[in-house]
Amino acid sequence: MAARIDFASLSLMDALDLAVLIEDEAKERYEEFAAQMDQHRTPEAARFFRLMAVNEAKHGQELADRRSQLFGGVTPTVTRAMVFEVEAPDYDQARAFMSPRQAMKAALASEVKAHAFFVAALPALKDAKVRALFEELRDEEVQHQALVKAELAKLPPDSGLSDDDFVDEPTAQ
Amino acid sequence: MSATCEFQAKDYKSDLKPIWCPGCGDYSVVQGIYRALAAVGRPPHEVAFISGIGCSSRIPGYTTAYGFNTVHGRALPIAQGIKLANPDLLVLAAGGDGDGFSIGGGHIAHLIRRNIDITYIVMDNQIYGLTKGQLSPTSQKGRTTCTSPYGSLENPVNPLLYVLAYGAGFVAQASPTDLAGMAATLEEAIRYPGFAFVNVQSPCVTYGEEAQQIKGLKAISENLSAIGHNPADRLAAMDLAQHYGEKLHLGVFYKNPEPPPTYDALIRERQAQLSQGALPKERILDLFIKK
Ligand SMILES: Cc1ncc(C[n+]2csc(CCOP(=O)(O)OP(=O)(O)O)c2C)c(N)n1
Ligand code: SF4
Ligand SMILES: [Mg+2]
Repeated sequence: MAARIDFASLSLMDALDLAVLIEDEAKERYEEFAAQMDQHRTPEAARFFRLMAVNEAKHGQELADRRSQLFGGVTPTVTRAMVFEVEAPDYDQARAFMSPRQAMKAALASEVKAHAFFVAALPALKDAKVRALFEELRDEEVQHQALVKAELAKLPPDSGLSDDDFVDEPTAQ
Repeated sequence: MSATCEFQAKDYKSDLKPIWCPGCGDYSVVQGIYRALAAVGRPPHEVAFISGIGCSSRIPGYTTAYGFNTVHGRALPIAQGIKLANPDLLVLAAGGDGDGFSIGGGHIAHLIRRNIDITYIVMDNQIYGLTKGQLSPTSQKGRTTCTSPYGSLENPVNPLLYVLAYGAGFVAQASPTDLAGMAATLEEAIRYPGFAFVNVQSPCVTYGEEAQQIKGLKAISENLSAIGHNPADRLAAMDLAQHYGEKLHLGVFYKNPEPPPTYDALIRERQAQLSQGALPKERILDLFIKK
């Protein structure tokens, strides 16, 4: 059975490793979404999801650098098997022919979800350094939300029409 | 905290990019399978993954296991043959509700009564997805589709009661509404020594009804362990299984606490018995010589 995260016993090294794994999962999911959009001829959403994948990778790398400065090559004790869609958008968030607005809203929902994860974990944390890291990560999720909102604001005003109205009905229905 | 894992989920992921509709529940199912296989820890070359035909049946191709995307409704007999030919393989079978309970429905009973040691995963979306939205055996009564334009007059099959009634040793239900729970349930099914069945409520975002999408499923889901269900109690499992379609019970309905021998174990035993009195290979032709 995949081990669950025991927040009370997390060390700073574990917490940094966990944070890297969370970014890694999100990066992979955005890449998957971009590939799905390519497959379904939805290039604008694909472009946005690729941008998100690059952002997640960048953030993950910063955390990984910090981890290796502090703990060098010590073998990690946390694994990807403990991470379940913390910052990765749920598969259900993707749709064929989704508009850039829908893609951005999906990313925003994921940042909100990640923020909730760090908030929910805080009371269980025992180590002061881990707590400080989680608070930092929580606040970064707020910044990420602001970045996505800024991208949303650049879009032309919402027509008020449903994006679904522009998609052909499935042929057999 | 310590966790050592020889295999990771990514070791079971193939390079083939899924062509399911974005949002399809089957994306979560394949994730759950990667994670379950990694937890079980059998190397991909020791796993055979057999499916029928349908959107869901594309799933073996997205794994690094040996795979066979066979014929509509025939995943189970082929999986059975593979398991008997090479009992050391970990054999998974998968497909849709149409594949499993319509055209392939007759096979399930026989794998269960023989207790073939495979895990059968049905991605139940209550529709024929691949062929563009026809009525399936698990579609609700009254459902309008292109083959039931005035609403279906048929009662749906209840997959959980069906397999419980035939005596399956492991029966569970999962859904993408809870990926961690799905991975754990699939892992438990794979580890069960005998025929294991997992019904996965996997929404079809293109032809499925609103109520069958993630939001609708979340609204009716209930974890079996949270309501104190004892998975060793088969009658209680059957009682709960009656609510298929109205409630989404997640987790293990039934797990035989004393799993009976599997068919392949019995065959090996029989072979060992018969081989004692068997002629040596070089005298095998004696059998055909009239005394
Ligand atoms: C012998 C045969 N009959 C019919 C078909 C057409 N067919 C292909 S997939 C399918 C049903 C798919 O529904 P399901 O098994 O529920 O899988 P889903 O696509 O929903 O995952 C049918 C009728 C076929 N391929 N072969
Ligand atoms: S038609 Fe339905 S089942 Fe098939 S890939 Fe699309 S969403 Fe999934
Ligand atoms: Mg189906």
